[in-house]
Parts: sequence; C-alpha cells; structure tokens
Amino acid sequence: MSGLTFGAPWGLAALVLLPVIWWLLRVLPPAPKLVRFPPVRLLFGLSGKEETPAKTPPWLIALRLALAALLIVGLAEPLLNPETGLDGDGPLILVVDDGWAAARRWERRQTAVTNILERAAREDRPVVLLTTAPTAADVAIDAGRLMRADEVLTLTQALEPKPWAVDRAAAATALDGLRVEGDVDVVWLSDGIHSPSVTAFAERLAALGNFQVMLDDPLDRAHVLLPPEPGPGALNIKVLRPAARAEETVWLRVSDEDGAVLARMAATFSDGEQTTVVELDVPAELRNRMARMNIEGERGANAVVLFDERWRRRPVGLVSVAGIDADQPLLSEIFYLERALERISEVRTGEVGDLLARPLAVLVLADVKTVVGADRVLVENWISGGGVLLRFAGPRIAEGADDLVPVRLRFGGRSFGGALSWEEPARLAPFADHTPFAGLTIPDDVHIRRQMLAEPSLDLAAKTWVRLVDGTPLVTAERRGDGWLVLVHTTASTAWSDLAISGLFVEMLYRLVQLSQGVTGDLEDGALAPLQTLDGFGRLGAPTEDSRPVAAREFGDVSPGPRHPPGYYGAQGARQVLNLTAGFTAIEAIDKLPATATHRIFGEAGEADLKPWFLIAALMLAFGDLIAGMILRGLVPSRAIRTAAGVALMAMVATPALAQETTTSDDGFALAATLESRFGFIMTGDSEIDGNSRDGLFGLGIVLAARTSIEPAEPMAIDVEHDELIFFPLIYWPIAASQAALSPAAAVKVNHYLKTGGIILFDTRDCNIGATSLSGGLSPAARRLRTLLRGLDIPPLIQVPEDHVLTKAFYLLRDFPGRWIGGQVWVERHEGGVNDGVSSLIIGSHDWVAAWALDEGRRPMFAVVPGGERQREGAFRFGINLAMYAMTGNYKADQVHMPAILDRLSQ
Amino acid sequence: MSRQQAELLAATLPPLLVAAERVASIVAQGVHGRRRVGIGETFWQYRRYQPGDETTRVDWRQSARSAHVFVRENEWEAAESVWLWCDSSPSMAYGSDMAATDKAGRASLLTLALAVLLIRGGEHIGLLGEDGRPASGAAALGQMVARLDRLGDTGQSLPPAEALPRHAQVVLISDFLSPLDHIEGLIKHYVGSGVKGHVLQVNDPAEETLPFSGRTQFEGMEGEGETLIGRPESLRHDYAARFKAHRAELSQMVLTAGWSFSVHHTDKPAQAALLALYTAMSAQLRR
Repeated sequence: MSGLTFGAPWGLAALVLLPVIWWLLRVLPPAPKLVRFPPVRLLFGLSGKEETPAKTPPWLIALRLALAALLIVGLAEPLLNPETGLDGDGPLILVVDDGWAAARRWERRQTAVTNILERAAREDRPVVLLTTAPTAADVAIDAGRLMRADEVLTLTQALEPKPWAVDRAAAATALDGLRVEGDVDVVWLSDGIHSPSVTAFAERLAALGNFQVMLDDPLDRAHVLLPPEPGPGALNIKVLRPAARAEETVWLRVSDEDGAVLARMAATFSDGEQTTVVELDVPAELRNRMARMNIEGERGANAVVLFDERWRRRPVGLVSVAGIDADQPLLSEIFYLERALERISEVRTGEVGDLLARPLAVLVLADVKTVVGADRVLVENWISGGGVLLRFAGPRIAEGADDLVPVRLRFGGRSFGGALSWEEPARLAPFADHTPFAGLTIPDDVHIRRQMLAEPSLDLAAKTWVRLVDGTPLVTAERRGDGWLVLVHTTASTAWSDLAISGLFVEMLYRLVQLSQGVTGDLEDGALAPLQTLDGFGRLGAPTEDSRPVAAREFGDVSPGPRHPPGYYGAQGARQVLNLTAGFTAIEAIDKLPATATHRIFGEAGEADLKPWFLIAALMLAFGDLIAGMILRGLVPSRAIRTAAGVALMAMVATPALAQETTTSDDGFALAATLESRFGFIMTGDSEIDGNSRDGLFGLGIVLAARTSIEPAEPMAIDVEHDELIFFPLIYWPIAASQAALSPAAAVKVNHYLKTGGIILFDTRDCNIGATSLSGGLSPAARRLRTLLRGLDIPPLIQVPEDHVLTKAFYLLRDFPGRWIGGQVWVERHEGGVNDGVSSLIIGSHDWVAAWALDEGRRPMFAVVPGGERQREGAFRFGINLAMYAMTGNYKADQVHMPAILDRLSQ
Repeated sequence: MSRQQAELLAATLPPLLVAAERVASIVAQGVHGRRRVGIGETFWQYRRYQPGDETTRVDWRQSARSAHVFVRENEWEAAESVWLWCDSSPSMAYGSDMAATDKAGRASLLTLALAVLLIRGGEHIGLLGEDGRPASGAAALGQMVARLDRLGDTGQSLPPAEALPRHAQVVLISDFLSPLDHIEGLIKHYVGSGVKGHVLQVNDPAEETLPFSGRTQFEGMEGEGETLIGRPESLRHDYAARFKAHRAELSQMVLTAGWSFSVHHTDKPAQAALLALYTAMSAQLRR
C-alpha cells in the first residue's frame, strides 16, 4: 500500500540529460581564482608555458549532478503512499459512523471521505451514502439511493458528528432495502467503538461486496468522561477509554459559566486499565461556579460533562445561642454541625440578620429558643422564598419555644434509659419512601436518649419524616411557601443522642440541604424545554430544531438522542442537565470484524507530496554549490574557512568533553577521605559558596597545622545525596537559599552520622543581614535551614553556654566571630546525653569559612566585618576550638576539676 | 601601526647610537658620548700637552700634580640626523595566508621601532619626502606616527630624490619590487650627495614562493596589469629564480654604493629585522 509514485512520470525522461550535464561540466572549467599579487611584474612572460585547461573537481560535478537529478525528480511530482484505489467498478457504498465517537478525529474522516468520493467521481461510479447515527427521531436511518459522487460530496461536506450514539442495528436494517448490482465496493469509516450489533452490521456490509474498514489508530480513540455522582465530599470523576493499553494521562479541565478554568487535573490510566478515577475536591465557592468539565484536547460530547444545581454546595448558616465554646468544643452543637456540613456545603456562623443578608440555602438554629422582631420577619420571608429552616431541639427549647416549628411541642422532653425510666434508648425506624431520607441505611449504633415530643394532631403523621421504632416523631417538617421548616426533636450535639456522631447525620444533613431552592423547583409536573444543547463537537449552542421538551418526571430516564440532545433543560434559573455519558459504564473497541474486510488506519497511509522536499533539497544544494564556487575562486578568505572549521571542530570536541562528568567511584572517595584526616563540606550547588567552603577549610587546615598537632589534608567536597558522610570528623554545611531539600535516604544518612558522633557545623552565613535569631523574622537561608532540619532528628538547642567545652577546647573564647559577628551560636542542650555529651550540631550565621579562607599565597581572601585582623584571629581560634572539639570531644570539660587536682597535688 | 607596539619592539634593544665619521656642520650637539675625543661636556681623558695645543686647554690643576703638562679632553657628544623612508604604496598592503600581518604593517612597525631607538639614542630623525628639519625627542616620534598614519597605503614606493645634507644617513624600508633602474637612479643620487644608507627589503613569503595552484588570475596592486596562469604550480621554479635574480641585482647595487642591505620576511618576527638594521647602523663605528 505504501510506495512511491509520480504524478508526472514523463518528467523523469529529463534524467537522460544528466550525462549531457556531466559532459558540459567537464568541458567548461570553473572561473579562475582571482589573486591580487604585488610582484605581478615578475610573472609577465612566464605564463605561456603550460596552459592546460583546468578541470572541475569531481566532487563539484557530483554535487551539480545531484542537484539536477533532484530538480528533475522533484518536478516529476513524487507521491509517497498514494491512496490506493477501490478495486471494483460498480456502485460504491460509503458508510460513515457519525456518532459521538467520531468527533475526535473528524477532519481525518472528512479527508478520507473526500478522497474516496473524488476518486469515485473520477471513475464515474454511483455512490450510496449511509450514516449510522440516527438523525431526527421521526425519520429512520435511510440508506438513501444511488447518487452521483459529486452530489454525495456536497452532502458529506455538511456532515457533522452527532452528540449521541450510533445505531448500527437500525443502519443494518436500512441496508435491507438496498439493491445494488455489479462489482460493489463497501467502505466503512468506523469510529472503532463497540456497540451491541456491530458484528452483525459488519457481516451485513461484507456481504455486499469488497469490504474495507477504515479505523482510527487503536491508540487514538475517544475517551469518555463520566459525570461524577453528586454527593457530600469530593467528587469522584471517572474517565473511560476503549483499549486497555499502555499508561496514558489525559488532562481534565473544570471551567465556570464564562469559561474561566477552575481546576485542572491529570487523569492517569495505568497500564492495562480501561478506567481511571480522579478525585476533585475544590472549595465550596469554586464548586458552586463549576459549569462544565471536559477532557483537554478531545472534541465531542463524550468528553464534556455539564453541571447543574445538583453538584453545588449550598451555603448553610449556623446560629447558636451558646456559640462555639472554646473550652469544651465537644459539648457545642456548632462543633458537630460544622464538622458534618463542611464537606457538604459552605458553612457560615453568625447572627440571623447577618446570615440572611447574603443568599442562604439552609439556616440551622441549634437549640435557639425564639426568633423575634426583625429577624422573625426576615426568616419568614426567606422561608417562603424557598429557604429551609432547620431547628434542633435542646435544653433551651425544652423550656418553651416560639411557634416557628412544624408541630406543636410538648415541652419538657422525654428521656429514655435514665434512672427514672425503664425504657432502653430508642433507635430509628426505617425511613419512609416519601421522605427526603428515603433509601438511607440506619447504622445500628444510633441511639436517641432524649427527645422532645410533639403534641398529637391530625396532620402530625403527614408532617413526620423520621420516627423512632416506637413511632414517636423525631424529625418533623412543614411546607411554608416555597420553603421548608424542619425540626429535629433531639440535639445536634451528643447531649441527647448519638445521631450527631454517626455518618447518618452527615447524609441526612446533605439530603436536607438538597431540599433547598434549586433542586426542588417544580419537579413534580411540567415539561423541561431544551435550553442549550451540545453539538457533536461538545460545543454548547442553541437547541437544535429536532429537540423536544422532556417531561420533568421522566427526566432521569431520558437517554440522549436526536430528540433529546445532551445539554441544559428547564428554566434558566433552575436548569437541569442531560449528560451524554450519564448512562455509560464502559466502552470497548471493536474487536471482531469479518475476515474478508480490509483494514486501514486513518491518516497512517496518507498521501505525502514529496515535490516541495525535493525542491528544497535542490535549493540547498544550489546554495552549497554557490559557496563552493566562491571558495574555489578565492572569494572567501581561507582564514574565514579555517576559523569556521576550527569553531565547528571545537564544538565537536567540546561537547563530549562537557558531557563527560567526572564520577568518583565510591572506593576512591572512601580512600581519599580516610587515608588522611580531612574535614568535609556539603556542596550546595552554588559554585561560589562551595569555593568559599573549600578555601575556608583549607585556610583553617593551614592554621591548625601551624598551631596544633592536627594536620588535616585538603578538605573534601561532599555530595550529601550520594557520598558517605561517616569518614569525616567535622562537616561544614553552608546554607544556600537555593539548596535542594534532602531526600529521605540522605536524611537517614545524616541522622546516622549525627548519632554516631559526627559533628555538623551549619552556617547560614547571613548574620550581616539581620537574622539574629532562629525563630524570629527569618532570612531565606535560615528558612532553608529549617526545612532542611525538619527531616533530621534534632534534639533541643540552646545558645552556647558560658562554660561550654567549645569555649575552652584550645583557646579560651568568649564569642565565636566569623566574617560577621554578633549572631548567636546554638548547640544541643543535653550535655551528658548521647555521644558523651558532645553536641553533634553547631548552628550559627557568622560565615566562618569566609574568615578562614586563604588563597595559595596564604593571604586572607575576604575582609572581616567589622573587627579587622583581630576578629580574623578570633575566627581562627574558634576554628581551632571547633576542630579540637570535633577531635577530642568533651575531654577538656574535665579541666574544670583541674584546680582541685592541682590543689590536692600541692598538699 | 600603533606607537605602543613600536615602543614594545624597540624596548628589546639598547638605544641606537649612529656612528658618524665626521663632524659636519649640520650635526648638532647631542647628548651621548661617542667614545672618542671631541666636543662635549663630559670628561674623557687627560693627554700630554703637545705643541700646537692651545694654552687655554691646559688643565692646570692636573698639571700641577706631576711634572708634565696635561690637556683635558672631553668626550665627543654629537647627534646625527637620520632620514627614514617607509614604503606606503598599495602593494605593501599585501599579506598572504602564510604571514600574520601584511607588509605595510610590518614596515611601519619597523620604521617606528627604529625611530624609537634613534630618539632614545639622541639622534635627530626625519621622514624622507616630508618637509621640515629633522627633529629629536618624543615630539618627533609623535609627529612620525601621525605622518605614517596619514600616508596610509596611498604613498609612493620609492622616496623622491631630495637634496640631503652631506653625511646624513638614510634608511629605506620597502618591498623594492619597482623596476630596478628606478631604484638605481635613486641610490646614485644619494650616494652622489655623500649620504650613507641602509636598505631593508620587506617581502611576504608568498611573493618569493608563489604558493598558488589551479587556474589563477593574477592582478597587480598598483595598476601594473594582470595575467591568467593555468597552472601556477608549474611556474614556481622559474618564478623563484626570477625573484632571486631581482634581489641579487638589488643587493649588488646597494652594496656597491657602500650601503648595507638586509632582507625581512613578514612571517618572521620583527625583532630579527630590527636587530639587522641595528647592527648595520652601529657597525659603521667599528669600520
């Protein structure tokens, strides 16, 4: 099927000219080089001796012949992978899947259809066009009639994918009436998604004649985005794919009404899985703005989910007389309500007036005795406008409440299981079907110990939503205007019942919140007219003319189709969504096709016109020829050529040189670190800081060797992630703000190092910019240090006490100057603990290495501020004490006994 | 050619003391001794009085110390004027790939370096073909730099036949590719007026070896004409012989006149050429 053909093969005849060109090139010499030459006088008269015609260099001939050949071949219009023809010569039956799954690569289908039809038009074959998606519900799929190919072409150009599924059974039926004669070609542009009657349909097609199936690449078929189940907590979004192939990630985007992106998340299919689930947890404010979710880069109604009121979190206001009791939060109703509602809705607390000043769905009054005055009017108006007032009983209401309750209450309450009662704490009776709680399961461990009783009345049974097992009402409700008045006859805290600490509480609250305006609307009767519908590419637009209203009661059962395209239905204020994918559970790729079918993949064997590439290559060669000609004639200074060649060569040589990174083998590192005693420093990745560390420890080593018996070798750089730390008595760790955080493995290594007697000197080096405390306003380096230390096992720290061994290990020191002075130096607090009381951490900010740094000439490299050379001497003394401390531990701590020992000796 | 480069080059040699055989009227008093008796301010030697010496020259203090009468003699301190010529014709702008610099650059560098040395030795220098008296000191060097800069590569191959004072010296630096009879006429003119001279021929190595190959069109740089040569590589030998003959004739001509002759190639360091000139000019003392 692939191959190279020529659109204008006679153009290749010009190739016979190549030998002629070759001969001409041989005969015609290139233009002479031009040289300006001062002693040209001496050349006069010498020139006649040997004037052989110069030859064109062979490589130049080859170049020019290649140029000419490319030009000729290019002009002969080479085509790679030309679309192969249709074998037959009779009618052509063109079957196009135009359901939702075809939208993803619709252009490819259009191109393929156009190519096939143009070919049919050239061969003057009649065409039957069959589209498999139902068009209008009243018109069955029509196999059409034999038409001229160019007529069909105009039809197909207006063809668009439909936002509903294909009906292959109906399509197969439509073929029954078709009578075609001759050598028939059948081409099916399939969407590659399995549907119940696909095998029968394919066999039906194969029976008609030569059968070709064009499919998408199996790795490139439609995904399906399912609408999440509305409910409390995070939304679980499911994405399906037709093939269980390699790992794949699609991006989901959630946007609001105006198209602003609210959330974007990756949905990753693991290898071999056909479904993936993503959790979407956004704040209530954002969640209420969600209008649409789609798969990025995928077109079609299958990749779009629209949201309506059902997915919103409604604002809930909490009013409590007690307020949240900071001392005993577990006794407060507000605490339980907030905990239960925070995943369901947006929770506000406050006074009635403040809460109702903003739109509110549910107002919860937890054990509030009365609502009076202006608040009372506000609340009543709000309820009749659609609000839900939810009241909880409690000790205060038990003393008497106002009449803003659904039923008359018998005040005083009733308790079960108390000392004066012989009844067990009561359990809930199953929920009746007509109540909002229908279908919820009641856990075994919910007991009501105390409740308020309703006065018996005629309508009490109708108003009761929840009963106890003995039939006493627990939740009563009354319709007022468009809203509801709901009373729970027990507390929202654990004072009277276990309800507040059960999962049922959350679910009941969720159902109650759903009651509020928006979902309730006019659900019972009326029809929902289409408001906006999706087209086949997942674009929202005016409803199509075939779309019809849906009876509100049946809305949940409607499946999308030509009559009811997916989209918004209902009134603008309370619209409901019909999602194409709502009923989907899984999608599969078509796997079985008749053996006689020829498979082709869209776009794979597309025609490629090679003419421009050949001509571009010819142009490049012509350019090369021009430059070569100029070089041959000496018009390009040879120095320039040499420079260019040199640069190119350097680039070639330098690249691998750069790429070769010196990797120290572990053994080499260990040997280097242990054969002589050395100090180490942690590489920060900042070359300046690392250089300072090296120079500083080098300088300290020089001074140590001169004044003490420690003679350290050159310091070693340590990559904390890869190198072993355990060899070093002391590690200097400068903190750079840009330093990467420690990996867990490195943190374990550092912890081990510290535990086994190593000492790390952390230096934030920023004393000069005013970071004097580790806890106050922090410099970037100090903050970095904190994050670094977070993974380490750090004992409590204190400032170096006056009698610490560091102050007397070699010199007697009072402070520890570095390049800066004035900051604090911190060590571990517990002397005498692990490691014989030697602090394994020393933390400061004085930038000591800068004060220690010496260059090769043993000259200091940095000025110390502000103290001059005296301060530098101090810095060296601290360094020597530190080295002594690292080498000898708390040995010098014993010196405190020296006076006593001397005293004893002298006696 | 920058003055710094010239100074740098000249710093490799001691100041140049041009030997002068005779005191001429135009020779001004200089600042350096010439290691022989003459007019000057620095003591040179005491000599026994001889009849004919003026009595005013007797050094009575010295004579009083011994039985003889001594005459005090001072060291001869004199400066000579040296006239320099640096070829600045278009053909000097030639530099092949074999050399790092073109001939003009090297020639003016050498000229300036020589000037630096001469001025440091206290001599007076001037450029041939320029008006004005020879001058000395740093100012003279500055003037010379300015003049060379101004000429660029628009000047002449050979200096005009000027009337120079007797016993002056000329230094000619050029590629000397002009017809030999022109050069001969010039040298004869100067020799006739009693002028000593030094000739330095500066050539690009390509000019001697003809390192070209392939069909080549050669074109003169001063309008001499052009010639197309099919295979220059076959002519190399003949050409080299011709060039050698040209140079031999030139050196013969120069040496016959009693002048010094040296050759410099631009692919060699400039110090070599400067040293050659230096020794040639100071050698006159020893002769």
